[in-house]
Amino acid sequence: MINVTELTKTYGKHQVLKGITTSVAQGEVVALIGPSGSGKSTFLRCLNLLERPTSGIITIGDVELTGKHVRIETVRQRIGMVFQHFHLFPHMTVMDNITFAQRKVKKLSMDAARDKAMALLERVGLADKADSYPSRLSGGQKQRVAIARSLAMEPDIMLFDEPTSALDPEMVKEVLAVIQGLASSGMTMLIVTHEMKFAREAADTIYFMDDGRLVEKSTPDQFFVRPQSERAARFLEQVL
Amino acid sequence: MRNSMLRKSKRTALALLALFLFAIIAVPGGLGQQAAAAAPQGTDALSAASGEAPAPLPGVKGTLIMGTSPDYPPYENIDAKSGGDIVGLDVDIAKAIADKLGYKLEISGMDFSGLIAALQTKRVDFVMSAMSVTDERKQSVDFSSSYYTARNTIVSRKNAPLTTAESLSGKTVGTQLGSTQDQYAQTLANVTLKKLNRVPDIIQELKSSRIDAAVVEDAVALDMTAANPDLVMNFLPAGNAEDGYAIAFPKGSSLVASFDAALREMKENGQLEAITKKWFEENGDQKEGKFLNLDFGIMKAYVPYMLKGVYVTLLFTLVSALFGFIWGTILSLFKLSGIKPLEWFATAYTSVFRGTPLLLQLILIYYSVPQLFQYKISALMAAGLAFGLNSAAYLSETIRGGIMAVDKGQREAAMALGISYPVMMFYIILPQAVKSILPALVNECVALIKESSLVSVIGVQDIMRRASVVQATEFHALEPLLFAGAIYYVLVLVLTSLARLLERRLRRSD
Repeated sequence: MINVTELTKTYGKHQVLKGITTSVAQGEVVALIGPSGSGKSTFLRCLNLLERPTSGIITIGDVELTGKHVRIETVRQRIGMVFQHFHLFPHMTVMDNITFAQRKVKKLSMDAARDKAMALLERVGLADKADSYPSRLSGGQKQRVAIARSLAMEPDIMLFDEPTSALDPEMVKEVLAVIQGLASSGMTMLIVTHEMKFAREAADTIYFMDDGRLVEKSTPDQFFVRPQSERAARFLEQVL
Repeated sequence: MRNSMLRKSKRTALALLALFLFAIIAVPGGLGQQAAAAAPQGTDALSAASGEAPAPLPGVKGTLIMGTSPDYPPYENIDAKSGGDIVGLDVDIAKAIADKLGYKLEISGMDFSGLIAALQTKRVDFVMSAMSVTDERKQSVDFSSSYYTARNTIVSRKNAPLTTAESLSGKTVGTQLGSTQDQYAQTLANVTLKKLNRVPDIIQELKSSRIDAAVVEDAVALDMTAANPDLVMNFLPAGNAEDGYAIAFPKGSSLVASFDAALREMKENGQLEAITKKWFEENGDQKEGKFLNLDFGIMKAYVPYMLKGVYVTLLFTLVSALFGFIWGTILSLFKLSGIKPLEWFATAYTSVFRGTPLLLQLILIYYSVPQLFQYKISALMAAGLAFGLNSAAYLSETIRGGIMAVDKGQREAAMALGISYPVMMFYIILPQAVKSILPALVNECVALIKESSLVSVIGVQDIMRRASVVQATEFHALEPLLFAGAIYYVLVLVLTSLARLLERRLRRSD
């Protein structure tokens, strides 16, 4: 599904990604963990070209993202993204937030878009908030709406960039429940997270990143019980 | 659902804009013409008066037809208060002569420029219309001896009257630039001259004591003092009699000799002077001084005329605000585009349009477009263009700030959804930017409404222009200005209240 070869990203003189090579299979759920500044978010944002890679090749399905003449909008439709700070459109209701891209990008009719939006709102448990503005929602509710907004585009891949880091502790659960539900539905997902328990339960694969490198790649059981690298072991010691 | 409403109202706004642009492009000058037609002029009454006199053949049946242009009191004007008869100094003299010679008199009103032709085609027997003798006219018509010489007159304040040429010594004296009196006043010794453009300006300068007196023609002085009871007029000695007003006849008319004889007789027996005196003194029926010396009664007849200016001003403001906003938005996008040539262009544009006076831009566009592009641009369109271009320069900076203030995450969220740049800008970034800069936008609109008064310099009939027309017709300087000021103020009040409503609507999502 996703193939990444020798991906690097440099800001000025500072190299954030130092050559990452990996591939993610269809339906695989990957949790990216590692100390802050290790390049997790940058890696994720390269996958839908919110950041332009400095070098390397990224292929999504059979489209080479880093190649020339790629219509980036078309590729991005297939990749949903959920941000730490939600980024809902504040001047639109919840319903409009979810239907807008469906109508403008996928050219769906208002009715079709609404039906889809209602179904997704049911799924994230917010059907009663359809006509509210984002400012009336709690953080957890906002993030669930943001997830619904991404899902409305029927993506093949979902990227989560620290989806619970900006939430009050009591709201983390409701959001993780939604993401976990999505994981078990067979969606290909990459999740940058600091929730170790969640990573262990939900992910098929753990990517441990440190200093711009993908240091360790293993199953949760293996990673959390017997981390292979010394750096991962030290990291786990600090957070657990 | 709300979103579709939003889109609909946006579409409507665009359609309206297109309509307005079309309107000003399709009918260049249309508005100006309409407005000009609405100006209060004697023309309607004039044609009515000439219509009732279907000129019979002259001379033979004991009736004489006099041609005159009844728009120049006290010589001749239409007496609106009593049935629309043509009255005046000329009429009284003509009546006296006709009596003496045993004719009945008929008066035919027409435009001044048509008088000579009326004589040549013998539709009238003679013309009396404060017409002075010139060599040019002498080639087409014959003249009697002159019956009156327009006199230079000193107008001064009643509480500080100046009566003679000598008394003007050491004083500041106002004149109308380029008038005969202006030339005369230059010959006065020890006088500081202040040359003004319009008679209402002279009145106002006089009333506010910036000048001590004005030297104007007697007819003008009469109007000034009639309308302003705190002013008085005093005649200066008459000039050369050759320059005076005379009666005109068709070439070779047999009436010239008998009219001359009658005039001579009237001069000798004092009748002529009596008539003159009557019109120049009786007419000055002094009104009671009003509160603060203001008389808003005169504005009553002009309310509809002035209010038509509101339409012009609003239309103009709307066109230039919309144009300025759209062009300003495009410029701000240029500045943020990251494409160097576009950035340079937008920056240079802003610098030039902010760095030169708006009045200069307006006049340049109005006069240069016809010369450079062979397109006769209407005054309203030139004004809309100038103000729009200028406003865009300021707005582009405001909008740029507004766009930059929108959270970067909004852009990323839109991009992640596969939304294209134009759709993102139009539906997601700009609405949020506009909301945050709304107070600045309202400021710009308020400024536009008020700055729009500049367009009167190129003849657009806006509120300000209409105020000066009323000034000139009524010989009152202050009242029309105060009235215009009140209109502007009400317009701005209404606009700011509407803006507050809009702001509340946009705040719904907070």
